[in-house]
Amino acid sequence: MARKLKRDMTMEEQLARGPLDLPFLTLVLLLTGIGVIMVFSASYPTAITEDVSPTTYFVKQAIFAVGGTVIMLFVSKINYQRFRWMSVFVLIGSIGLLILVLIPGIGEAHGGAQRWIRAIGPLPSFQPSEIAKVGVIMYFAARLSKRNQRKPLQFNRRSYLYAPATLLERTGFFELVPYGAILLLIAVLMYFEPHMSGTILILVGGAAVLFASGINLTWPALMGGVGGVGLLTVIFFTPYMKTRMDTWLDPWSDVSDKGYQITQSLMTIGSGGLVGVGLGKGRQKFGFLPESENDFIFSVVCEELGLIGASVILLLFALLVVRGFWISIHARDRFGALLTVGITTLLAVQVLLNISVVTNLLPTTGISLPFFSYGGTALIIQLAEMGMVLSVSRQIPAPKQE
Amino acid sequence: MKKQKKIQRDSAKANHSVLIRILILMGLFGVLFFIPMFGRLFYLQIVQHEELESKAIDQQTYDRSVVANRGTIYDSKGNTLAMSATAYDVQLSPLEILECQEAYQEQVEKAQAAETAEEREKLMPSYPEPTNESIAQTLSQLLGLDQESILQRLSKTNSMYEIIAKQVDEDVADQISAYASENGLSRGIYLNATAKRYYPYSTLAAQIVGWVNYNDGNRGAYGLEAMYDDMLAGQTGRVVTAKDGHGKQMLYRYEDYYDATDGYDLTLTLDATIQYYCERVLAEGIEKYEVQDGGFVIAMEPKTGRILAWANSPTYDLNDPRTVIDSQLQAELTAIAADTTLTDEERSAAQTDVLFKQWSNKALNETYEPGSTFKTTVLAAALEEGVVNENSTFYCPGYAIVADRHIWCSDHKGHKDQTLAKAVANSCNPAFIEIGQALGAETFYDYLEAFGFKDKTGIDLQGEPTPNDNLIWPREEFTSPIGLTSLATASFGQRFKITPLQLITAASAVINGGHLMRPYVMESITDADGNVIQHTEPTEVRQVVSESTSERCRTILEGVVDGGTGKQAYVAGYRIGGKTGSSETDEDDHTIVSFLGFAPANDPQVVVLIAYDNPTPTGPNSNYTSGGHYISGGNMAAPMAGELLADILDYMGVEKQYTDAEKAAMDMTVPNVTGLTLSEATARLAESNLEVRTVGSGDTVTDQIPAQGVAIPGGSQVILYMGSEKPTDKVAVPDLSGMSREQAQAALTNVGLYLKSTGDTTSESVRAESQSIAAGTEVEMGMVVEVHFVGTTATGGAGSGT
Repeated sequence: MARKLKRDMTMEEQLARGPLDLPFLTLVLLLTGIGVIMVFSASYPTAITEDVSPTTYFVKQAIFAVGGTVIMLFVSKINYQRFRWMSVFVLIGSIGLLILVLIPGIGEAHGGAQRWIRAIGPLPSFQPSEIAKVGVIMYFAARLSKRNQRKPLQFNRRSYLYAPATLLERTGFFELVPYGAILLLIAVLMYFEPHMSGTILILVGGAAVLFASGINLTWPALMGGVGGVGLLTVIFFTPYMKTRMDTWLDPWSDVSDKGYQITQSLMTIGSGGLVGVGLGKGRQKFGFLPESENDFIFSVVCEELGLIGASVILLLFALLVVRGFWISIHARDRFGALLTVGITTLLAVQVLLNISVVTNLLPTTGISLPFFSYGGTALIIQLAEMGMVLSVSRQIPAPKQE
Repeated sequence: MKKQKKIQRDSAKANHSVLIRILILMGLFGVLFFIPMFGRLFYLQIVQHEELESKAIDQQTYDRSVVANRGTIYDSKGNTLAMSATAYDVQLSPLEILECQEAYQEQVEKAQAAETAEEREKLMPSYPEPTNESIAQTLSQLLGLDQESILQRLSKTNSMYEIIAKQVDEDVADQISAYASENGLSRGIYLNATAKRYYPYSTLAAQIVGWVNYNDGNRGAYGLEAMYDDMLAGQTGRVVTAKDGHGKQMLYRYEDYYDATDGYDLTLTLDATIQYYCERVLAEGIEKYEVQDGGFVIAMEPKTGRILAWANSPTYDLNDPRTVIDSQLQAELTAIAADTTLTDEERSAAQTDVLFKQWSNKALNETYEPGSTFKTTVLAAALEEGVVNENSTFYCPGYAIVADRHIWCSDHKGHKDQTLAKAVANSCNPAFIEIGQALGAETFYDYLEAFGFKDKTGIDLQGEPTPNDNLIWPREEFTSPIGLTSLATASFGQRFKITPLQLITAASAVINGGHLMRPYVMESITDADGNVIQHTEPTEVRQVVSESTSERCRTILEGVVDGGTGKQAYVAGYRIGGKTGSSETDEDDHTIVSFLGFAPANDPQVVVLIAYDNPTPTGPNSNYTSGGHYISGGNMAAPMAGELLADILDYMGVEKQYTDAEKAAMDMTVPNVTGLTLSEATARLAESNLEVRTVGSGDTVTDQIPAQGVAIPGGSQVILYMGSEKPTDKVAVPDLSGMSREQAQAALTNVGLYLKSTGDTTSESVRAESQSIAAGTEVEMGMVVEVHFVGTTATGGAGSGT
């Protein structure tokens, strides 16, 4: 297909060919680059232990990073309006995958949780929950961007249900029902994997889009309150959760078993001091800190690059998040805005949760650090999400020329 | 239109609310929530940095101490008396052993779950299951420990540090290490290198060398090991290496080595050979004289104060200091164990006392009444002060009266008239009382001080007591009128207590030219490269008497051995001088017999003090042991000292000096005179100091007895056969036991045999104790029978009293 000349393009088409948001792109590439380097540093002891080339993990991650960047740029070229119709298929598809993953033979279990779809042919193994995250955000954004066209439900004034129904409608209850249903379905499916941290992220992503779209907050607040109380009850009355809480509150009381990972992480971070022991010179990754190239890679960053290096990386993340929201504020339409909010919030929450966990601000849950943690498909999906944001950024109307 | 506006207004309102909400999210997720992250990182990396870092470093590094090699102790000839070698402490880590066992179980389960038999085979561990029982069994066999106790230690599964055996030798350690690695227990059974002390000569100089206490960080517990612990111990070093989480060392990453400084080596003045002679003589005497409380022998170089040997009895094996090997102490232990009246505490205290008895250096830590050996210093003082001289005469009626009290001489019949030399040779108490009185209490006391009896000798050994008023009279008391009897008894060495070391040190001053030397046992301290760190030079404390006085004393003291109370110490050719001593104690029938001897008398190279504590008398008030030995220094210690001094002088290579009389009595080798004329043969034999008796009347000698090459005492007769047939009948050796020398001589000559006397060769009154060829043995004529004589008269006995 021959390229259309500019004068032949519709207004929309012209807009879709605007420039990428350079600050956002720069931050993404910077973080990806640093992330790959840190994977090298953090993974080579593991590789040596496994008797493979020290660069094994690094090479894989680098290939995925390059591939992911290409995919990101490709996604950014797509007119994001197309994501509206795609969102339905992505959501349905991801729900389908979440069902498939529970089927033995297709799903693959690691450490007692069946979260992966086994690698098939050239396709690498991946977590359907990663796709579900995007699906939920895309679908919610697409649907909620049109919520001002939604007509409030009318009820038969003579029905005795009129008053409560109207109240529910006014407080936005019925509007929430489909979203709630989708989230509940996904949560239930993921409960069977089980995948607590993934569920939290999907809920947070969906909730962020819902919140930003301007929905009535009565019911979410109410449900949030009830949910919070329920969660606390569970925590205090489930022995498993209770010990987990105790470990969180005093990890040093059991350094050889339950508190092992987190105390190792704290020692790793603390060893870094202000300037760190130097890139590649970390000692804790040599069999002391579990998952040093994965969920706990930030601890290695802290050890090797010190408070200064870790803060710079945190700052880059914060800037990326702020820029993401900036793009969403300036997005051409509501869909773009909500899509960006969802993706950006998801990214921010992942970063914040991961760092909170490795610094023991929160109890340990398995959340990887975007751009840093080792894992090819996660990185590709992450970069594809970034591509979506970039795609939105292309259609920001250029400031008026003076 | 209105509706349109409303929609627009609604839309604007909605846009506004969306904007606000996105801004809220931006504020929360882009800014606010990041703040605690920075705060937390600051807290962990700056505030808690050192604490967390040290925890990390603790687990990342092996910090092992490197044991410094304890210095070696050598004798003066370079023989090793104490040395260190690597040994191992065996440490169990029940926690890790449990992990190993769990890992084994897992592996077995894995293997059982495998699909093919081949895979199962491959996955099955190659060794049997390391159960607690099998571990305990193996270790108990290798270490000789109780299996139950090992099992009990293994049950402490939250412990990682259970030391089950200490100081295990290298070969056993190797076996344990091999067992651990072959049975998947490398992380569970550990061998920690440490040093073990070996004493190649076992019991030799045990109380001097001392030992190290493994329970007290290998520090010296007794003797020189304790005295010079700082020098011997060295400085413990450290090796710090990086390790990974699996415990593997990562030498390339980080290594820090703080060298262990090996301890310095000690060279002693002791000589293992002389020490051996001393210990042999001590042990022989203890057995022979049925000595109950042990004894000691000190050998010293009189001119320098160097201790050449120092033997104590009872003794013990330095390699195993907690085991009692002395038979008398063992008997004591048995008695303690059998004593049912003791509480457990009392029993263990009593057992500990027995151990202290064998560890303590009797001749340094304990004091005794020196007895007549002390007269050497009184003699020197009197000669120096000029109150007596060689022409002085003394009359001994068998007792002396001092302050209305009778003080008996050892010879109750009295020595009658005697010269100074004779009085010393007789060890005559009344004579010495007279000498003491001539000196006067003040002067006497000055010499007590000058000879060092009021001070420590300053030897570099632990536990030397400080003289006090309970041991020796204070000057005021001694010089006051009530001190008269004290002066009298002090003159012959009774009623005050000193250490044997003080006595030999003072006696050395008497014979070495008057120099009171500080005795010492440490010759030098050298580092591993042989650099001398410290060297002891002989130290003169003071000059007590003049050279000439000393020389006069030597002459007089030589007379003690040459016909005096010490004559049983006489050995031809050695010019031994000395003084006997029999010390009374507070107990009845408990005598310490001693002899102070030195040689050669004209130029003393060695001085020895030999003492036996408490030979067993046959009964109350008996002066004889069941072996027929008279309990006195002259009869017991002197012969031993003579034997010892001869050995030492031979070893030291001191040339023998024979008097003419001695030369005449020396063994001569019979030359071949067969075929010669009588006059030729007589001349030839006369050259060899041999006499001639002829049988037959021919012109030439046809045969001779003894044959050529046989050594017979000088002056003996050689039988020459002048044509007559030499009788070929064999003769029976007569039983000589109990005979005097003359009787033995006659009995042997009678059957054509020769006598060679050993033992007491000078006393007039002797009896044959043993003979080299048993009575009744058929031998050829002309054989030499060696007979050992002992003196029968009481010489140098205790014998003082009121």
